[in-house]
Amino acid sequence: MFHNSSHRKYWIFKCEEELDHMRHKANQKFRNKILESGKPGVSESMFLERHGEDVVFRHYERRMLDFCNAFKPVMPKSVVGTALMFFRRFYLNNSVMEYHPRIIMLTCAYLSCKVEEFNVSCTQFVGNLLQESPAGQERVLEQILEFELLLIQQLNFHLVVHNPYRPMEGLLIDLKTRYPTLENPESLRKSADDFLTQAAMTDAGLLFPPSQIALTAILNSALRAGLSIESYLTECLGLKGDKESLSKMYDAMRRMKTLLKKYELPKSEEVNAYKQKLERIHAELATSSNKRKRGYEEDGHVSKEPRITEEEWTDEDLM
Amino acid sequence: MDDQGCPRCKTTKYRNPSLKLMVNVCGHTLCENCVEMLFVRGSGNCVQCDTPLRKSNFRVQLFEDPTVDKEVEIRKKVLKIYNKRDVDFSSLRDYNDYLEQVEDIVYNLTNNIDVENTKLRMEQYQRENRDIIQKNKAKLTREQEELEELLLLEQQGNEQRRLEVLQEEKRQLQAKRKNKQALLDELEQSQLPATILLAQHKVRAAQLESEIEHQHKVVKPTNLFSTGIHMRQTVSLQAVPKIEEVLYHYKPLPVETFGPQVPELEQLGRLGYLNHVRAAMPQDTAGGYTSALACHRAVQDALSGLFLL
Repeated sequence: MFHNSSHRKYWIFKCEEELDHMRHKANQKFRNKILESGKPGVSESMFLERHGEDVVFRHYERRMLDFCNAFKPVMPKSVVGTALMFFRRFYLNNSVMEYHPRIIMLTCAYLSCKVEEFNVSCTQFVGNLLQESPAGQERVLEQILEFELLLIQQLNFHLVVHNPYRPMEGLLIDLKTRYPTLENPESLRKSADDFLTQAAMTDAGLLFPPSQIALTAILNSALRAGLSIESYLTECLGLKGDKESLSKMYDAMRRMKTLLKKYELPKSEEVNAYKQKLERIHAELATSSNKRKRGYEEDGHVSKEPRITEEEWTDEDLM
Repeated sequence: MDDQGCPRCKTTKYRNPSLKLMVNVCGHTLCENCVEMLFVRGSGNCVQCDTPLRKSNFRVQLFEDPTVDKEVEIRKKVLKIYNKRDVDFSSLRDYNDYLEQVEDIVYNLTNNIDVENTKLRMEQYQRENRDIIQKNKAKLTREQEELEELLLLEQQGNEQRRLEVLQEEKRQLQAKRKNKQALLDELEQSQLPATILLAQHKVRAAQLESEIEHQHKVVKPTNLFSTGIHMRQTVSLQAVPKIEEVLYHYKPLPVETFGPQVPELEQLGRLGYLNHVRAAMPQDTAGGYTSALACHRAVQDALSGLFLL
């Protein structure tokens, strides 16, 4: 149940500015870390600005969605939604410059399959990386497993994500039962579904409870079909006398719609430019994963044979 | 585990099912044969870490991970010295600190961290607390003895009962056999018709049976509960002092759902919700599933947190 979940307690934020602030802090944290380490040849101009980070993030988010949609066996929507949410939550406190989104996105999808009880084995999972050779898939798999724990830790072990899909079903059932004025609620489903898919690509999941997102999707869909079901709010949801809640609700819906409208796919030339910059940063600075792994082996905890030099596979092979 | 094997001769459990792995104080394994071979003279060095070892200290490895065996061994040794009990401390906090300290020592010795210092610490502790250690040791052995005595008594009782039952059975068997023999004798010698003799025999047999049954029913009185408390012990009949307390009243926990009221699970059908969900298939219901469950969950999710902000 959402109302007493970690999702409500820790992962619903007040406003867009708060999210911006957190992402800014993550960016700053990475800069400081590198500058303090005193590596030679580091200059401020090397780093990605917030805008660049955003472009890279959205690009990889899109890639993850494509990957999930092409996944065999077909992934249920909730798995995709959870994966996107993990991705979003992870980069709220981390910079793309520190952990490469290419591997984090796969790890998110992999973890999401487990959390949502969508049973695929890990070999089956990497088998979906069609462009990879079996050896390459093996390498990716090792990386996924390596980053999985980090991801879980960065998610603060809050793994249950409440997606808006079930609330939407519930609202449709409720509409059919308590609001007979509406002739055919099923007709709203198609466009409401689209709304939810779009909402998953925005910060809506970090700002609003899933039930509100679902309700907005349905109201929006009704609006498009030229139906007015505002009275459902007042009559059935008991908001008749509660002007304050009602206006707050409308406000939230407006904000959500603005968020969705604002979303646009980053331009490909922009993406390429920032991606090059990112690759340079990762090649030169972020050796965090290497360091960590070596630390592991020194401790004598892991006695696996040394891995093949990583980061051999590039984006383009992925899909 | 099939990859469990002797590190020296590389024999595995798979190849030699009777392989016995041994472990010594340093926590490294060797198979029984290697131990016999390497420690013919009674002592030698560990193959892997060069610690001087005695043959007599080799134990059969009980756990898959030899370090666990090592830890068990070390723990036994440490607890011999650190044998204080909770009554020896003034507060629970002290006792817990003490336990923590013991765990630290065991951990250090197991993982070879700071061994010298830890051993020094143990020796110092032993010197400082010699009296208490001796006292607790004595106490411990006394308790152990009492327990063993009790166990012995119980065992003796069991044995006696078993013998009695055996004897009883033997007696019954004999009685039956005698009865049969008597019938044969009578058939041979008596002038009466065979049918009457047979009838008489049947009556006698039935009598015997009922007698045996009766005996079974008589429960042998014991005067000792299995806990060692004597039966018919005089128990004080004075009423236990009554404790006057305010009775506990259940108060339902308030759950804030940040949304409109959700209809109860039982009422979904009456309110017509169930007309709009897929009915449960017969094979679904076997596991206790009803369509109301899914419906309730969806509606609950739809209304939970709706007015949050």
